[in-house]
Amino acid sequence: MSSDIQRWSDELARDPSSLAFLDLGEALRRDGQLDVALTIVRRGLDRHPENVDAHNLMARVAIDRRDFVRAAEEWQTVLRLAPDHVGALKGLGYICYQEGRLEDAERYLNHAATRGGGESVAAALDSVRRSSGELATATVDALTPSDALTPSHAQSLFADVLTDAEQTALLLDESGYVLGGVYLDGEGNDLAHEIGAQLSGISDEAVRATRHLGIGDWKSIVFETDVASVALAPTSNKGLLVVAASRATPLGLLRRLLDQCAMRSIHWLTDGTTR
Amino acid sequence: MTTNAFGSVLETLTRQRGVRASLIVSETDGLIVDATLRVGQDGDRVAALAASLFRKARLSAAAARLGDVAFMQMDAEQGRICAVGGKSDLVLMVVAEPTANVGLIRVELLKALETLA
Repeated sequence: MSSDIQRWSDELARDPSSLAFLDLGEALRRDGQLDVALTIVRRGLDRHPENVDAHNLMARVAIDRRDFVRAAEEWQTVLRLAPDHVGALKGLGYICYQEGRLEDAERYLNHAATRGGGESVAAALDSVRRSSGELATATVDALTPSDALTPSHAQSLFADVLTDAEQTALLLDESGYVLGGVYLDGEGNDLAHEIGAQLSGISDEAVRATRHLGIGDWKSIVFETDVASVALAPTSNKGLLVVAASRATPLGLLRRLLDQCAMRSIHWLTDGTTR
Repeated sequence: MTTNAFGSVLETLTRQRGVRASLIVSETDGLIVDATLRVGQDGDRVAALAASLFRKARLSAAAARLGDVAFMQMDAEQGRICAVGGKSDLVLMVVAEPTANVGLIRVELLKALETLA
């Protein structure tokens, strides 16, 4: 247990009606103890049902648990209590974006931007506007190879392959740099570069293991974590394809998504199309 | 060949169709705690490499804020490695044929992990 968690836990034990549950809940959330964080914040809300920060924290815990419905409810409550709350506006923008409701996402993010949302909101708004433009274009015109290799199309490379808002896919090059795809966190920030850098090291380890064990080249790695199921596959240019989905996604479905994204990557890397 | 009380867990795993080896390994140092291996297999090498792969997956997932890795499966052209780990240092892993029923192996691994906990 970290010292922060211990400290806030002690303080809450001394005075159960205090607001220490906010700091304790946030520390637990950051530590990945989501079930405990949920319990602490729920108890806090029982005592402080109109506390904006508590509802906001509950929404953030829900997002980390991939419970988008609960998160949206909590952020709606925040907006009822504090209509210009930037965190809630960003959060709802993120959920709408994940659900493909791009107009709603833009509306929430615009509102956040007018209330001092800062650079992160501006970047999220830019992503949503680019996605809106791409979807509109895609319905009218077939992509030409030169169009397909632009950065904005790279971000939405797997958008039509993935079947729900909790799935995401990234295409990385040999060095772990992102070639295509996007990975948004609960704040609407694109973590693709960070996630890509962290996961790309696994392929080196896989190559080493398979070479020494004499079982041929590796074809895929699937692992289940507390919050997600992740599938990895090598690409033709020594890169890496990463597909992540909620823990509730069956592994068989995840592997099919990996295969479909792999086919998309091959076409995109070889002739620039997304057929 | 098993050497201690983990033997029954490993033997259950090894009885699954297509399983070549089952091992309990310390993730930290890659050393075998117990293993059931076919004759001629280099258990130390399998243990070290598979533990290293599981550790890398776990650290990468944590760094990517995905939480703890509970189950991992790597498919290669001529074999599969499946591994489960819990809160302790122990990793339970299986090396199997490419045609092995990995769904069944996963279930047995998770059951076995509960036995070890």
